[in-house]
Amino acid sequence: MTSVTGQANAPRRPGPARAGTLRNVWQHRADYAYVLPAIVVMLIVIAYPIYYTVDLSFYTTPPSLQLRDKIFVGFDNYQAILTSEVFWRVTWNTLIWTFLSTVLSFALGFATALALHRDFIGRGILRAILIIPWVISAVAASYIWKWIYHSDFGVIGAILVGLGIADRPPNFIDSVGTVLPSLIVVNIWREFPFAMIMIMAGLQTVPDQLLSAAKVDGASAWQRFWHVTFPHLRNVSTVTVLLLAVANFNSFIIPWIMTGGGPSNASHIWITHIYELAFGRQRWGVASAYSVLLFLILMTIGYFYVRALSGDKKKDREA
Amino acid sequence: MAETSTARARPRKRVDRWRWAGRIFLGLMLLYTAVPMVWMLLTSIKSGFAAMQLPPQWWPAEPTLASYQKLLDPQNSVGADFLHFFWNSLIVSTLTTILGVIVAVPAAYAFSRFRFPGRNFLFFAVLLRNMFPAVIFLVPLFILMRWLGLVNSHGSLVVTYLTFGLPLSIWLLKGFYDNIPIQLEQAARIDGATRFQAFLKIVMPLSVPGIIATAIYSFIGAWNEYIYAYTFLNRNDQLTLPVGIQRFFSENTTDFPGLMAASFMMSVPVVVLFLVLQKYFVRALTEGAVKH
Repeated sequence: MTSVTGQANAPRRPGPARAGTLRNVWQHRADYAYVLPAIVVMLIVIAYPIYYTVDLSFYTTPPSLQLRDKIFVGFDNYQAILTSEVFWRVTWNTLIWTFLSTVLSFALGFATALALHRDFIGRGILRAILIIPWVISAVAASYIWKWIYHSDFGVIGAILVGLGIADRPPNFIDSVGTVLPSLIVVNIWREFPFAMIMIMAGLQTVPDQLLSAAKVDGASAWQRFWHVTFPHLRNVSTVTVLLLAVANFNSFIIPWIMTGGGPSNASHIWITHIYELAFGRQRWGVASAYSVLLFLILMTIGYFYVRALSGDKKKDREA
Repeated sequence: MAETSTARARPRKRVDRWRWAGRIFLGLMLLYTAVPMVWMLLTSIKSGFAAMQLPPQWWPAEPTLASYQKLLDPQNSVGADFLHFFWNSLIVSTLTTILGVIVAVPAAYAFSRFRFPGRNFLFFAVLLRNMFPAVIFLVPLFILMRWLGLVNSHGSLVVTYLTFGLPLSIWLLKGFYDNIPIQLEQAARIDGATRFQAFLKIVMPLSVPGIIATAIYSFIGAWNEYIYAYTFLNRNDQLTLPVGIQRFFSENTTDFPGLMAASFMMSVPVVVLFLVLQKYFVRALTEGAVKH
């Protein structure tokens, strides 16, 4: 069908299809003026660094910032990474960190939003207090928790000793076994409010009439939640989980400030490891190769993220 | 009659059980959230000696505001530094916010209203920025900033911070504009307004809540940013608060009351800003992002 009409129109068109696109662009030239500032800023800060990082990942650099003296080594950096033991340790840490932080932040945020949905005295104040950890700086949060976890004077250790649960304060962030879970607790503390806000916003789109209709029909609280509320939250939940997963995968401040990746790499995740390779040990080539691998992983997640976002839009328009 | 009353009584009991579970859960979440913040405040009003006692002073025996006085005293070297960092953070965050709104508003409007070629591609390219961690961009941006002569200047931070704020700002605002009926602009056009006038006089005022929400988001993001500030700035008088506080701690590793007081003061502006304007933020999320 389309090809037939295309042929019928072809002789009347002044130029080939390419010219049509260009003319289309030209006709909309004023539109681009609106997006141009945003695009220019993004190009400078994204496109150039991406090109530069990919390029640098094929070089090795002398141990100084004289990047001009780099030497081409092909895929050596990639090979060195994939065969190193630290890589697998750090990757495992990153997976645990991202998975637990995302799932638990989302679950706690979701449950809190539901529990806060019904009006009661003090709800506004309670909601405000619960949001604060998300608003304050991660640096401040890291220091607050570093002090709480302190191996001699930390308040949690003191409580555990006071209750007779432990003989002496545990080394939360100074021991290999407990450091990662301890940092995840801090991360969730900062992140569950974000999930809570998103779900709260989602709950406002659930039509009250539907809920009261279900109630009149004798649906239990659980049935009303499962059959009415939850389907309305599916889209916002997808977006929230994806945003949390990306944010957690890209975390830096909490492990960097609280432990610097230690003890013995037990709390190094990808980003802190890359930072240390680049700015600590000046191994720019290896750090860039790590970054390129990270790109590939993130582009894969990004594909689903974009699809989730655009999928929501399409469904909405059809409805 | 008897049947209906039992039928009514049973669901209510169940609802009560859910309500109690919800209350207990909220109580636990309140403890989790508030205990660290309360402990920060209690530590900040102790003396350095009182903070390091075993068992700890659950309530400060001799509360003192000495740490706050030290931080706010411009005569004292610690205080002078702290006030300087505070001022730097304020400048960088304010500039980022203003420029962010100026750039995001027209872009979001165009993505919502116009159908130019490449629109979808550009929109998703903008959104993708949020996918990438700061670390990936650090080295090339550092070199770029050196080339632009912006290293050790707040300009390098403002330009970089703009790009984190933009994706979410554009996304939220676009949702907002999608909800404003296009007939309003069409009416204005019929009355003789140009497209830009219709945008400025009709659409902009209606989108003020969305603009406030994105402005809060940009401001808080810039205020709390750490990695770029840590890498781009070396001169002590240029540091922003997160980096400044880290430097403070590395020089005074046992002054926990001072550290907690500094953390508290650093949190106050963004917490107040957010709590005062949070209704706009939640509304923007509801109308902009979630509905669509």
